[in-house]
Amino acid sequence: MKALITSIMAAIILALVFSLPALCEESESITITMTGVNEISISLDKTQWPLGNVATDMEYITSPAIEWCTLTVEGNCDVNTFIVGEDAEWVDNPSAYKWTLSNDGTNGENVYGLQFRISGDTARGYVPITKTKGEFWPYDGGSSLASGDTKQFGLKLLTPTYFIGGREMRTQITISAVAA
Amino acid sequence: MTGHIKLAGLIAASLVILLPSFTLAQDFKFGISPAEIKIDNLPPGEASEFELTIHNKYEAAHNFTLTIFRPPEEERREGRAEFPDYSWISLSSQEIEVAANSEANVTVTVAIPRQQKWEGEYWETWLGVAAESSDMLAVRLYVRLLVSTSAAIQARANAGLVVGIVVGVILLGCGGYYYFRRKTKPE
Repeated sequence: MKALITSIMAAIILALVFSLPALCEESESITITMTGVNEISISLDKTQWPLGNVATDMEYITSPAIEWCTLTVEGNCDVNTFIVGEDAEWVDNPSAYKWTLSNDGTNGENVYGLQFRISGDTARGYVPITKTKGEFWPYDGGSSLASGDTKQFGLKLLTPTYFIGGREMRTQITISAVAA
Repeated sequence: MTGHIKLAGLIAASLVILLPSFTLAQDFKFGISPAEIKIDNLPPGEASEFELTIHNKYEAAHNFTLTIFRPPEEERREGRAEFPDYSWISLSSQEIEVAANSEANVTVTVAIPRQQKWEGEYWETWLGVAAESSDMLAVRLYVRLLVSTSAAIQARANAGLVVGIVVGVILLGCGGYYYFRRKTKPE
């Protein structure tokens, strides 16, 4: 009987000796790192451009042209910024009628163009806004925006060469940011 | 002169109202923290969760929507591949209302299937947060989510358990054999 008890005890101890370190290793293996307590945030001092009535094949520019809206980096981390547009939809029936956003800032029949220009960005001038996310402030050369940085910019709209009149159209331009 | 009047009439007929919004411009601010999350050594078959905090710095309550975004290759961190399956990431809510000048948390869970092919991988995806708005200009913020999986940690854990169980069974067997052998031995 004594031998049986001794064997059971030895078996339990050996089983624990082998398995516990393995279990401990498993529970310690995952690490989650939140990069500091960084907060990402940008703000725009304008979100509306009330154009009113527009005519075909006309160019509309914000006023002031390139200092119309101010983007401010509010968080405490450097950011890369992007801009993307979308088709303009008829407010009353979005699936029935739209203006397609062009890929190069030009216009056509039921095709409209959007461009933006950042104050101080002399190299690029007006840049087309397309349905593909593009750089807002050019960061390719390592020039990400730092906390507290501000950039002023303006918009240019080129209306379609032909469109159905009397319809209220709506579009949205999204400016986005990610930690640099 | 008649031609000019006709032209003006045609233009007037083709007028539309684009964005006829007369609300006052709003300096709307919100933030997300943390800006980047790194989960290291997540073994396939395991899950890990963390919280994103949405800071509404505006004077009114706002609805925020959360999406998982596939970043283009050139925007990903060096050495990071595309996250293979977005169904592995779940959000406690994809839409959340945050009261004025306050914050709210969203729990994000990352669960990797238990398959050997997902060991030792380095992935990146972005979690996008935007305030619901019908204004012409909108802001979206992205949080970088970097996930790396461990190589065969689960296998080592199982190996330890198996060795422990095998040793235990052998010792129990030997003990039992020895006990019954002694018990059946003639006095």
